[in-house]
Formats: sequence, structure tokens, C-alpha cells
Amino acid sequence: MDSLLSFSSVSKVYGDGGPGAVRALDDVTVAVPRGGFTAVMGPSGSGKSTFMNVAAGLDDVTAGEVHVAGHPLHRLDDRARTLLRREQVGFVFQSFNLVPTLDVRENVLLPFELAGRRLRTDEHAWVEHLLEVLGLGDRVAHRPGELSGGQQQRVAIARALAPRPAVVLADEPTGNLDTRSSREVLGLLRTAAREYGQTIVMVSHDPVAASYADRVLVLADGRLVGDHDAMTPQQIAELLIGFEVGAA
Amino acid sequence: MTTRSALVLGARRELGTVGLVAAMCGFYAGVLLVASETLRVNSESVGDVSAIGLVLGVVASVFIAVAVYVSAVVIVNGVDTVIAGRLKQIALLRLLGADARSLRGAVVRGTTGVAAAGGTAGVLAGVLTGDVTRAALVAADRLPDGGYALLPVLALPAAAVVTLAAAGAAWVGSRAVLRATPAQALSGASVPAPDSPRAGRLRRWLTVALIGSGALVLAGAAVLGESGNAIGFLAAALGAMLSGTGLLVGARLVVPRLVSLVSRLLGTDPPSKVAARNAVRDPGRTTRSTMGLVIGVTLVTTFAAGFAALRVAAASWDQTAAQAAQTDDILRHTSTIMICLVVVSSAIAAVGFVSTMSLGVIQRTREIGLLRALGFTSGQVRTMITKESVALSATAVGFGMGLGLAYGALGAQSLVGFQNDGFVWGLPGPVLAGIAVAGVLLVLAASWVPSSRAVAVTPVEALRSST
Repeated sequence: MDSLLSFSSVSKVYGDGGPGAVRALDDVTVAVPRGGFTAVMGPSGSGKSTFMNVAAGLDDVTAGEVHVAGHPLHRLDDRARTLLRREQVGFVFQSFNLVPTLDVRENVLLPFELAGRRLRTDEHAWVEHLLEVLGLGDRVAHRPGELSGGQQQRVAIARALAPRPAVVLADEPTGNLDTRSSREVLGLLRTAAREYGQTIVMVSHDPVAASYADRVLVLADGRLVGDHDAMTPQQIAELLIGFEVGAA
Repeated sequence: MTTRSALVLGARRELGTVGLVAAMCGFYAGVLLVASETLRVNSESVGDVSAIGLVLGVVASVFIAVAVYVSAVVIVNGVDTVIAGRLKQIALLRLLGADARSLRGAVVRGTTGVAAAGGTAGVLAGVLTGDVTRAALVAADRLPDGGYALLPVLALPAAAVVTLAAAGAAWVGSRAVLRATPAQALSGASVPAPDSPRAGRLRRWLTVALIGSGALVLAGAAVLGESGNAIGFLAAALGAMLSGTGLLVGARLVVPRLVSLVSRLLGTDPPSKVAARNAVRDPGRTTRSTMGLVIGVTLVTTFAAGFAALRVAAASWDQTAAQAAQTDDILRHTSTIMICLVVVSSAIAAVGFVSTMSLGVIQRTREIGLLRALGFTSGQVRTMITKESVALSATAVGFGMGLGLAYGALGAQSLVGFQNDGFVWGLPGPVLAGIAVAGVLLVLAASWVPSSRAVAVTPVEALRSST
């Protein structure tokens, strides 16, 4: 199966399994194939963040198997997971995305530096292309503190795309942005998926954000309760409201 | 501590350094005062000139003043670091209606309270230690039984001075509170405001004037020493004070550059690069945590180098073997005593350094989580923190040693230059080696604990943390 990210019967329980334990993920099985833009939706507390952390190897699973680009994440130790993250996973977080002491270009090149290798000519051209397309061409020497929130998020996207990772994980990438910057950022992610074939998984609770994706997964109480093709914001909102009402 | 200062300053633990430093300083003052009281009573009982009492008092006061000064620098840094990590919360308090002045006042009161407790306890413990030691020496017939005062007259004033210095330091260190605007509570991180151009120019001008005049006076002292003029040594002291003050005033202009120069030698891989940037992230803080150490190392090296030079000079004098041995013995002992007296300031600075490094790393928990998520291994995080500590302390130790060697040699030259050919100087090998070893230990102490803590936190926890 040509899937870049696959969960099979993954559970994640916080706490010691007693009555106070929380099942953040409950027997989740899903495969994200190469290419495409997948949104993971759900109300807060549905396990979205845990899904993301587990997919990134930032958190251990309690049961089940997680594969990223063919590597069994659940069987790797911390160091091996760090290296896998470095080489196969790109990140865009809600906030605090950039290393404040490094300038824009240094932040974007950090993944290459961590891998300890020089840029090939084509990679160099790719990075310059990204910086240009993302409108950062004249800001490469600025520190993150000198940029607006939207600009910082674009730098984070450039950094995530630069090493052409197997998968880019975006955790509420528009959570801290105004409407215009949000639309820009979402458009960029969609473009990256469509034009560059970059696999992107985005966690969000915002129906508008999820409407940019071409696949929508829905989590509720740690379970995967929906798997849909692209939808309009209205459809997604109705779907979510349906789950909330159903749960109440 | 009131609720309000607890809100601004957070846990008492963060002010622990202030209490510890005040206590060390107070203890030192207490011991020194008992020692000088003992010497004074003894010299009077021998029927010596009463001026000796005055001289001893002045000497003790000078050493105590140096320790108080270093403590104040450490406290400024401690308070500044704590506040830098809590700017968001302070901004939130401002948003909710607290005014900046009263928040700053709360910081000063909280810090002063801790310092008063630490300083007073330190002085009393120091006096007690001194009294007990003296009683033991009297009992062993090593000291004559005299009418010693159990509590030296200056003991309580010393505690007051420590407290006042801490209050002033808290005032200076809490300047950042005024810069926290309510809007920052709603937006992102804050960037420390740079010196205003006017302040910068004044600082530059003062630095050049002080260092220039100090260097001239020092050169004059070296020349006077050749002619055996007694004014020479006083001129050397004055020159050292002038240029030393100049260096303190101008440190902000020079030290961050020196640190970034040194940190460039660490390497160009990502951990080294981030470490190098972190070392000079806040130039003010970098300068203060380095200058505390520079003062300490300079003082120790000055005395060590001065006496080493004197011993080299004395060895070439025309005297009998017995005389030569006696002179060397006296110089060696005096040197040891002086170094012991000034080494305390270095210890205070070292405590401050370790505390600033640790707090800085704790405040960077989220940033370290980000680096881990991006692919820094835990080993690389450790390397990064250690290298930052190396950059700062290597600069401080190198700077202080160079300065101390120059001051020491110039002091010796101004005293005995006329009795020797050429310039008098000496290299106190063992002391320099000792300082280097202490520097390595300091780096380990300052980076081991925070880096262990940093890698123990998983990236998920780190990214979620609010600090």
C-alpha cells in the first residue's frame, strides 16, 4: 500500500488506566496516501492534537501501529524518531513556529543544517523559489520578532516544505491569524498539495480551514467517526454540529 | 511577600538566588569585620599607632564594598531574568488594570525583603563563625585574650548596606516592568528595546574618557615606579579604578561582541549556531552575567599576578639567602590571604551565573520543544546549552585574566620598579590554572542541571507549556 502515514488500531490513553484515564485516541485506523491535503476535524477534546503528536512521533501510542513513510514509528526509540522527524516530517504549528534567534533564511534552512548536509543546486533553487512565492524574498534577513503573524506562518510553511518531507503536519495553522492571513496560508497549503504533490495533514476545528482540503477526517471522543471527500464549509459545519448534538 | 509581588515575580524559588547571594555577601562581611576587629584590638594592645585601626577598617570596607557591588550586579541580573520570563503575565496584569509603577514597586519590595532576610542572616552567621573561631584560637593560646566586641560596630550597618544595595539592584533590574504594555498580553513575544541613541552616546563617551584617562594614569604610575616615587602605587590604584569603571560602563558595548566572537569558535553546526545566538540574545543580560565573573576573575588575577611579579622582582634583589627566603615567604603568605579575601566575590558571581543560565533555559522550554520537534536530538540540546555556557564563561575568564595580569604587573612595577631593570611582571601559574579549572567546573555546573531538565521534558509537554 502506498501510504505515507498509516494508523492501525491506534489507541492512546493518558493516565494509569483507572477510572480517571482519558482515551485520547480509541482504536483509530486510517491511511493517508501520497499526495493530497487531508484535514482532521473535531471539537476540542476529540483527540485531534493527540492524533498529530502521535503521527509526528512526539508522543508514544498505548496500542496499535503507526507507520510514517514505511517506518514503524511505534517501534523506534527517541533518537530514531527524532531522525525520522528530521528527514520525513515537516511541521507548522499554531504559534511559536520559528526559532527567535535565527533569521528567516536560517529558519528555513534549519532542517538541512540539522541533517548536516549542503544544499544541492536544485534544492537551493527550490528554497529560493519558495521564499519568493511565499512573498518573503525581501525579508530573508529579518528575525521572526520583526514579522507579522501571517509572515511568520509563511516562513514556517517554507521551512516545512523546503526539505520536501514525506508529510507536512499542520496543527491549527490558522489558529492565531486574521481572516486574510488565514486564507493566504490555507491557499498556500492547498497549492503545495496540488502543484508540488506534497502530502499535507492539517488538524483544525475551523470548517472554513477544512474546506480547503480534499479529504476530511472527523474525530469525536478519540474515535474516527467520519471520512469524507472535499466539502463546503457549510457542509462541514453541519456535520460537526450533528456530532455535537448527537453527543449531548 | 505580598500577593502582588508574587504575581509579578512568581515562585519564591526564582528569588532564591537573591537570598543566597545576599547571605554569602553578608557572611563575608561578618567574618571580615570580626577579623579586622580582632586585629585592631591586638595592634592597640601592643601599643601601636591608633591609625592602624582606621586602616584596617578601610581595607575591610573596600573588600566588603567589592563583594556588595558584585552581589548587586548579580541581583540586577536575577531580577531582570525573572521579569523577562514573566513579561506576558505582567502585561496581563497591566491589561487588567495594574499600573506599571506599583508593579515595579512590588518587585522592589519583594526582592528587598528576601535580600534583607538573607543579608542579615548572613552577617550574623559570619560574625558568629568569626567569634567562635576567635574563641577557639584564644583557648589554644594562638591569640591573646583581649576585650573583643562580640558584635562588631559595623555588623548591622553592613546588613543594612547589603539590603540597600539589593533594593537598588531590584530597582535597576525591574526596569523592564515599565516596558510591558497591556497590548503585549494579547500579542506575541516582546523584543527588548535597545539603548536610546543619546544614552548610547553618553555611555560611549564616558567609556572612552574613563579608560583613556585610566590608561594614562597607569602608564604614569609605571614610569613613577622606575624613579621610586611613593606616589606611583597610589597612581596605579587610581588608574586601575578609572579604567575599571570605564570597562564596567562600556562593558555593554564590548562584551556582547567579545562573546559572539568567542562563540563563533564553537562551530557552525545548528546547536553551536543557536547557542551562539542565545549567548548574546539579550545584550544587557549577557553583559551582566559576564561582568560579575570578569570582576571576580580580575581581582583574583590582579593580586596573584601582582604578588608573582613582586616575588620575581624580590628574587633579583641584593640580599642574603635567609633574607630572600623570608621575603619570599612573607609575599607568598600575603598573596594567599589576599586571594582568599577576593575569591568570595568570584564565588558570588559564579552563583549568579549558574542561576541566570538555569532560569534562561527554563524560560526557553517551548523553544527547546520546537527544536526537538524539528529534529534536534537530546544530545544536541545538551550540546547547545553547554556551548552557550562555554561562550559566556570563557569570555569572562579570558577577559578577567588578561585584565588582572595587566593590573597586577602595573601595580608591582609602580611599587618596586626602581629596584629592578625593566618592567616588573610575573605569571602566577598555579592561580591561573586554578581559575581555568574553576571555569570548567562552572560551565559544567551551569549547563548540567538545566540541560538535564530540558531533555527530560518531552517535546509535546514543552510545546504545550506556557512559559
